[in-house]
Amino acid sequence: MANTPKEFFLKYGIPIVAIVVIAIQLLFVNTQSLTKWKGGGYGMYTGIHYYYDQIYIPGLSVDSMIVDNNEMKTVLGRLKLMPNDKNLKMAAKLVLETSEKDSIHIQVWKPEVNPENSNYTRVLINEIHLKKSEL
Amino acid sequence: MKYWSDIEDSLKDNIERAIQLLLLVLGIYILIVAEKYRVAKLPVIFIGLLIWFFFRNKTKHPIVWIGFLILLIIDLCRAYFLVANHHFMLIFMVIPVIFYAYHKRSDILLKNIQMLLVVVLIASAAQKIMSSQFMSGDFYYYMLNRGSVFGVFFNFFPESLELAKSNKESVLAMSELDPNGLESIVLKDVFSNLSFISVIFAWVTVAVEFIVALALLWKPRSIWAHLLFAAMIIGILCTRLETGFMALLAICGIFLSNNIKLRLLYVIIVMACITLVVTKLGYH
Repeated sequence: MANTPKEFFLKYGIPIVAIVVIAIQLLFVNTQSLTKWKGGGYGMYTGIHYYYDQIYIPGLSVDSMIVDNNEMKTVLGRLKLMPNDKNLKMAAKLVLETSEKDSIHIQVWKPEVNPENSNYTRVLINEIHLKKSEL
Repeated sequence: MKYWSDIEDSLKDNIERAIQLLLLVLGIYILIVAEKYRVAKLPVIFIGLLIWFFFRNKTKHPIVWIGFLILLIIDLCRAYFLVANHHFMLIFMVIPVIFYAYHKRSDILLKNIQMLLVVVLIASAAQKIMSSQFMSGDFYYYMLNRGSVFGVFFNFFPESLELAKSNKESVLAMSELDPNGLESIVLKDVFSNLSFISVIFAWVTVAVEFIVALALLWKPRSIWAHLLFAAMIIGILCTRLETGFMALLAICGIFLSNNIKLRLLYVIIVMACITLVVTKLGYH
């Protein structure tokens, strides 16, 4: 055991910070829909990678939208990382601003597999409808 | 055997060797991620190089380590939720090494490394227990059917490889369709009894992580604890080439192990991981 507070800090300070980072990650996972793969909580390989999640915008191609548009790439990337209402709204605003549409519908889908019948499907995890008039 | 005695001599000072390897892994990692947020990193690298060049033998401060730590922190501040988990672990290993340069107390450094390793392993196991997709075996079932784990071994089973390729293509084709159509596809199992194997594999993974964590917490110098730990690292590398993270775990093993042969095993793992990282066959 550590004899002095200084020694205690030197021995256990960093592991305690690591625990705090894990606690913050768990908080974000449970309140902000952060993927378990990120945030320093060592939750990689606990579920299908968020890279395989799909952002679906009816009438628009997400792949073409992010080509040569770093802001769109960042905002939609953040949406996949944390598919919460706030990030959905940010993405919807940006898509409305850059497209000629009057309203937008954005969905985030997650892959799901059922080993019992070998079925692979996608489930809706969050979505938003936003009109230009609501901006 | 002169070669063996040279190796033994070299591995006697495990702390020095582990720090040397950590610096090598850190340098390679920093180099790979250097172009991200380069404007912020530019002055740190330039001033750091100048200080290192002129004052490296005239100061007691570990300039290279401090410079690398600043670069790691820049990445962390700019992309806290994007950096890999081992980026955090790297920071948590570099800070005690910097402190060690001042206090020179190996017991403090080793306690830091031991506790950090235990925290990482327990967190990893606990996160898996909290994930229903993992514990039900669904995750491994999906990854195995896509050929995304045990990739190297699939080459020895051509039929399974073909099935994995076909599953991958079906999933890709499905992603082109409107998900509101609620279609589903049927994956072809790459091996028989795959759903059962996936559940067993999931539980074994969690059990091994917990056992290794507890063994290292209870007896961090025990040969058995390190044999289990090294087997776990090799097992993870066989599953997927997470070479960056595994190199860090093996360096922790060098720090904590008292046995020369185990230290050699860890050094071989670290060197293999470094080779795979620089040739971009493994993940950094």
